Formats: sequence, C-alpha cells, structure tokens
Amino acid sequence: MAPPTDASLPRLAPGCRWGGTEENRMILFPEGAIQLQGTGRQVLERCDGQRTFSEIIAELQKQFGAADPAKIRADISVFLEQLQKKRIVDY
Amino acid sequence: MVSNPLALIAEVTHRCPLHCVYCSNPLELASAESELSTAEWTSVFQQCGKLGVLHAHFTGGEPLARPDLTELIAAARAAGLYTNLITSGVGLHEQRLQALVEAGLDHIQISFQDSREEAANWIAGAKAHAHKIELSRAIRRHKIAFTVNLVVHRQNLDHLEEMIPFIEQLNPERVEIAHAQYYGWALANRAALLPTQSQLERAVAIVADAEKRLAGRIRIDSVVPDYYAKFPKACMGGWGRRLMLVNPSGKVLPCHAAEVLPGMTFENVRDKSLEWIWQESTSFRKFRGEDWMPEPCRSCERRTEDFGGCRCQAFLLAGDAVATDPACSLAPSHSIVESAVHEANTRADGAHPAPASSFVQLQKLNAELWSYRTNPE
Repeated sequence: MAPPTDASLPRLAPGCRWGGTEENRMILFPEGAIQLQGTGRQVLERCDGQRTFSEIIAELQKQFGAADPAKIRADISVFLEQLQKKRIVDY
Repeated sequence: MVSNPLALIAEVTHRCPLHCVYCSNPLELASAESELSTAEWTSVFQQCGKLGVLHAHFTGGEPLARPDLTELIAAARAAGLYTNLITSGVGLHEQRLQALVEAGLDHIQISFQDSREEAANWIAGAKAHAHKIELSRAIRRHKIAFTVNLVVHRQNLDHLEEMIPFIEQLNPERVEIAHAQYYGWALANRAALLPTQSQLERAVAIVADAEKRLAGRIRIDSVVPDYYAKFPKACMGGWGRRLMLVNPSGKVLPCHAAEVLPGMTFENVRDKSLEWIWQESTSFRKFRGEDWMPEPCRSCERRTEDFGGCRCQAFLLAGDAVATDPACSLAPSHSIVESAVHEANTRADGAHPAPASSFVQLQKLNAELWSYRTNPE
C-alpha cells in the first residue's frame, strides 16, 4: 500500500474506535488498544473521514507554526502508513 | 497495588454444535443448568467496566448457543467494553447478525478448520464449512470488523498454501493463523495434531510470504507452536496480570485451563466481587509476580517477558504447577516436550478415514486417531 495522498480521507478502520477517558484516550481495536497522547492523538482525532489528508496537514502545520512544515507532513504520512498496515487506519 | 485487568474472556456457555478435535475447552465441561443468567452476566460486565477492563471477548463453547447473546453484547457495550464475538458462526444468520451489530458488536471472529470442505467438516465433526463461507459474505455487508481464525496442525498444515487465497476471498481485515495449543481436547489428541518440523518450517515461510504480499490489506497475526520454540509463551501475558476469564457457571479463572490445577479453589462471581477476586483471591495471587518461581526461572533474565511460561502446561506435562514450563529449552523437564516432538517427526500418518453419515459413525471411524469434543451433560 502507498502512503496517503492529498485527497485521501483518513479514518479509523472498521472495528477500531475511541475509548478510555478524556485524560487517557485510546483507540480500541479487536485484539488490543493503543494509548494516544500529544501529536498522535491530535492527528487521529482529525482522521474522521471528512477531512482530507492535505487539510489535516494544513491544520497541524498551522498549530505547530515553529516546526518545519515539510517534516510535519513527512512524519504524519509515515505515522498513518504504519497504522494503515496494522489495519487501524484506512485512507 | 495490582494493576487492573485489561480484558475479560466471557465463556458464556460450553455448549457447541461443533466437535473440533483441537478444542481448548476443559474435558470437564460446565453444564447448561449451571450457566450464569442474563442478569448475572450483566453484573459481570458492569463490574468490568468499573475495573477499567477494555475488551470483552465472547467465547465458549459457541456463544450463539445462548438465546440472550444480543442482550449480553448490549450489556457489555453499555458497560463501556469493546465487544468481540469469537464464534463458529453456526446459529448465525442475517437477521441475528443485524441485531448483534445494532446491539453494538464491534468485531466478529469466525473460525475455519480448513480451506477444503471435506477436511474442514472432518476436523470440526460437523458440516459447518459451507455455512461459514455464506456467513462471511453476510458479515461484509455490515460495518463491522471481521477476523478469520484458522487453527493449524498436523492434519491441515499441508493445505496452508491453499488456505491463504481461500481467506483472501473472504475479505477480512485480519487473519489469525494459530497453531493448536495443547490443552483440554487438543492435549488428549496431541499425537494426531502435533506437526512435523518440516510442516512447521514450510508454514513459517508461507505465512511470512503472505504477510509481505497482503500488507495493508489483511493483517496476519500468527501464533507459533510452543513445542518447537526455544522459550515458553508468556501465557495470558502472565498469571493474573492482564486477563481474567469467567466460565459458563461463573468461576473466575486466570486462563482457559486453570481448573485442571490440583488443590486450587477458584472463586465464583455469584459469591464475590470481581474486584476482590482480582485483587485479593488466593487463586489470582498464587502465581502473580516472581515469588513462586523456581530455578532456572528465578534468576533468568527472561522472567519478566515470559513469566515462567504456562502453569497449566507445567502441571499437565511435568506434573508440577510450580515447575518451569517444559516448553522452555532451559526447563529440567524439557525432555518431555522433546520426546513428543521426536515422536511427531518419526511416526507415519495413516490414511484418512472414509466420510461418515452421522456423528456417531464419525466418532467410531476416527476412534483410533482422536476423540471429538462432546457436549456438556
């Protein structure tokens, strides 16, 4: 599978959903759960199947104004690709 | 302070329309009369939600044998749990599936015994294969996650290469390729199930190849057979560390097989709270931590990874629940596993018996090879 493109619509894969508490948010999937904090959580909370990949990137580049936009883009792309391989994210 | 359990294994019944020869249920099954009621299970789920449990894995027997399964799924979901149904699919049709999905079922896992219909029905002791295929198509019409589970062993490993494309066309998100583990009925039938070294090596290569090819489309989780491993499995992620199992009659166990351990008493949800059982009961504290460990585990650097292996396997094979798991190459009793493996690699298999017209005839024709799992009294 290829990395997400600008028009991709990242979303949680079937059988994956948010759980836990507000302080301890996690994504539940069939055989386990991952705890999400910081940037990972901010990325996945935007993966709602409505926003495109480029919109998600733009929002986060704005938020992390000080960081290198190209690096933000590359990091998020790798992050989503890894979760896609684990069948936690679709795009 | 002990951390909270992460998952509940809800063995809601031991009744099952299949008779799989690799079943890990105990030989002494819980009777239908002793089963917990809907209200009792609902209380179990609510207690789990409060304890911080994340997942409820519904299993059995066949969970669909409970007419109240939809209510049970809804109750678990209402308690905040992720609901996973582990099933043969027998007893499930479009309408009931719809009701389960509406009740909040998150994920369904269907077991297949083989890709070839005749072999699959022979291993299951029931004509279930065609129905499972039909059901898999129905599942894909719903927004629900789908895993195919395939238990592999001596009698079907030679078809593994065919099983991969078979699974692909069922289109699940995940597939679990699990080598049989030798407890309950599977232990009784071990000689017929334990693979050869060459079967195993081929299987590892086939799975590795499939993983690469299907990456991003179907996730493959594989469970290796511990008889061929160098170190034991971290059974249940450690005794009383992550999981608890409630059996059909309400007994709370640290694993599927623990009832075989002699001299132990397991508490019942009818008498005690789950929190007390998890935190305080003698049974859950018995092999928690490292105090119970003998050498070579006690000074082994792997003790925090595998926790000394499986207590039930230590008892079943070495006759001592406190011993190092005989599957470990460092265990004093490892020769027990080595001789089972040696036997598996030197014995020739007989021809498969002819198809039978009834379950009783099937049992008779296969009596020398294995015992089919039967139903509780």
